[in-house]
Amino acid sequence: MKDATQTEIEEALTCQCGCGLTVHSCNHVQCPSSIPLKKEIAEQLAAGKTRTEVLTHFSTKYGEKILSAPTTAGFNLVAWVTPFAAVLAAGAVIVVVSRRWRRAPAAPPPSTPAAADDARRARLEAELDRFDA
Amino acid sequence: MVELGLLSLRLAFIGGLYAVLSALYGARARRPAYVRSARHAAYAVHALVAAAVLVLLRALVTRDFSLEYVASYSSSTLSLPYTIAALWGGQAGSLLFWVFILTTMSTVVQLQNRERNAALMPYVTATSMTIAVFFLALLVFVTSPFERLPVPAAEGADLNPLLQNYWMLIHPPSLYLGYVGCTVPFAFAVAALVTGRLGDVWIRTTRRWTLFAWFFLTLGNIVGARWAYEELGWGGYWAWDPVENAAFMPWLSCTAFLHSVMIQEKKNMLKMWNMVLVLLTFCLTIFGTFLTRSGVVSSVHSFTQSGLGPFFVAFLLGVIAIVSALVVWRRPLLRGENEIDSFLSREASFLFNNLLLVGIAFATFWGTIFPVISEAVRGIKITVGPPFFNKVNAPLGLALLFMTGVGPVIAWRRASARNLRRSFTMPLAVGFVIGVVIFAAGWRNYYAVVCFSLAAFVLATIFMEFYRGTRARQALMGEAAPRALANLVGKNRRRYGGYVIHVGVAMVFVGVAASSAFRLEEQETLSKGGVVQVGAFTLTYAGIHFTDNPHYSSMLAEIAVAKNGTPVGTFFPEKRFYKKQQQPSTEVALRSTLTEDLYLVLGSYDDASGLMTMIVFVNPLVNWLWIGGLVMILGTVIVMSPTAAEQRALAAALAVEERGLEAALR
Repeated sequence: MKDATQTEIEEALTCQCGCGLTVHSCNHVQCPSSIPLKKEIAEQLAAGKTRTEVLTHFSTKYGEKILSAPTTAGFNLVAWVTPFAAVLAAGAVIVVVSRRWRRAPAAPPPSTPAAADDARRARLEAELDRFDA
Repeated sequence: MVELGLLSLRLAFIGGLYAVLSALYGARARRPAYVRSARHAAYAVHALVAAAVLVLLRALVTRDFSLEYVASYSSSTLSLPYTIAALWGGQAGSLLFWVFILTTMSTVVQLQNRERNAALMPYVTATSMTIAVFFLALLVFVTSPFERLPVPAAEGADLNPLLQNYWMLIHPPSLYLGYVGCTVPFAFAVAALVTGRLGDVWIRTTRRWTLFAWFFLTLGNIVGARWAYEELGWGGYWAWDPVENAAFMPWLSCTAFLHSVMIQEKKNMLKMWNMVLVLLTFCLTIFGTFLTRSGVVSSVHSFTQSGLGPFFVAFLLGVIAIVSALVVWRRPLLRGENEIDSFLSREASFLFNNLLLVGIAFATFWGTIFPVISEAVRGIKITVGPPFFNKVNAPLGLALLFMTGVGPVIAWRRASARNLRRSFTMPLAVGFVIGVVIFAAGWRNYYAVVCFSLAAFVLATIFMEFYRGTRARQALMGEAAPRALANLVGKNRRRYGGYVIHVGVAMVFVGVAASSAFRLEEQETLSKGGVVQVGAFTLTYAGIHFTDNPHYSSMLAEIAVAKNGTPVGTFFPEKRFYKKQQQPSTEVALRSTLTEDLYLVLGSYDDASGLMTMIVFVNPLVNWLWIGGLVMILGTVIVMSPTAAEQRALAAALAVEERGLEAALR
């Protein structure tokens, strides 16, 4: 069984043979990239380095390109933050817009008599029940 | 013969241009003869492209290695099915195949609408022919499939070994059908924008086409994943490769459209948003083709790369500019009767479902292009690989799974406390119990726990719907349970077919979560008779076999497998060496059951020492991914099957449109 840290690091590095997979996933016979890289990871770990230190070693030696995901520092943060920021912003837009939609132009203002509202709701319930049935 | 192919393409190009101009002139000047002429020209383009396809097929089958295309993508020993598949195995051929599907669909649409949609059709013709002309221009001026070699080759270079897999016969055609299928709603959308006929008609006319496109996008994605699983031999099925993403993104936006369009049909809301989704889906299909063909981002699947990138970028930007202008111009007509009473309503829940689907599409898009952005901003090339996509999309995907349970059963307008209790008490309890049970059983992968719990919730909501509906029919109509169930589904195919699709989605989530969270993996080097234990499996290496044929040589390891001590069979993971391409290829050995897949990969064999290296994966529940995919396909078939009510709705919408037209003319 391989060491868990070794596997983790293999997953964090991209194979350079052009397969597009992580070093861990690449299974090319005599792959010129993943096999030496796996060996190098093992050597680094044997030298007593931590996961972070090993990853730093690889990104300084081969360039940032070798990491299989962007780092979480500097400009790379943009990669991580943007999708969530976009979803949150769009979610906020939905909330704001649908608040506005609640006051339909032709409909009476929110001060609708409670009775009418209740009547409508009761009818709705009845219809829904019929729908469910 | 080859000259005939060249001539056909050139004539098709000219015919396509004529069809565009004639359709536009006919519509503008109100001269129906020109519109008719454009339609006939579109038929002719279809026939010419079909002729070109036949010429290329003939060249492939007769092994005419004087053609560069045939010599590059096939060989004399390639079997007939793969020789035919070579039609879409290379760049020029795949573009030709694309135009062929496009023009075929255009013909079907013309025939369907000979008697109706008279106002929209000229612009539908013009739009689809413009797209065809773009692809034909590439085939005529940039990358011809009928290029002759200066000296005929004695033998072809053969098809890439990775493509010599039977899924290759299904995956690319179905993906293309999906991609090109998105063109039909797009063409109608453009026509609706140009004519200002933005009512119900274009949406109802294209509904089945959109489903058709979605059907094939789903099939194409699932089959593509299966292909990767069997052929790439790394134990997985999805690596967030740019080309995989390219097929996934239009699927997401098309899914969003299929949901939000229901809100438009029922409540005349979200007209603008639906329009944007249709346009976006088409743009994403072109973007996908661009990613595959341009080599801007490296990918395992771009088996053919070239300088087509700039043409696609120009085309895509042109399309975006035109449709944006149209949308801005028609903005007043795209105002729907938007009304949301409560966030606890189906309308609102569909908005959030759309947010998540488009959000995942955006996150995927963002990750795919981020290396380009990074290089532009920092001058440093970086990699955005699977860990990024998994981390970003997993929470969004789980939220989406939750909405899959909520959306279809929550009440319209405003859910009452009663509706919420009735619909969700039992499913939430089921989901909660499942979550607690698997957590107590020792699962500590939180994503997997949440995913299973949510999947149970979704399945429970759907079960309740079927159960209640069946019971109601039993009570009201006095039907027996099986008949009541069949009628329930048959009489409301959209609703219950949709539920079936959701069952499939829950299964896919379960398969993906289990196989990524609990995968076992072991690499072992064994000598003959050696034994290795992986999970419940005991594998014994019984020896190596070699075979040889003119096409490839191969070696197979013989592995006897026992599960919990009981023999379950002998398996032969194989390594092939394709002679013409001088390339190895992995043929995995699979023992597939509902509980897990045993997945064996032959790594290497050393003759001198007799040592064999093998990689063993145990992928739990992965079969549910494929089964879920099939269930989704089945559900789509149910949804697509026509019903009388729907035909009436379309006829009614068309009648309203015709009356409006008559009134306008009077």
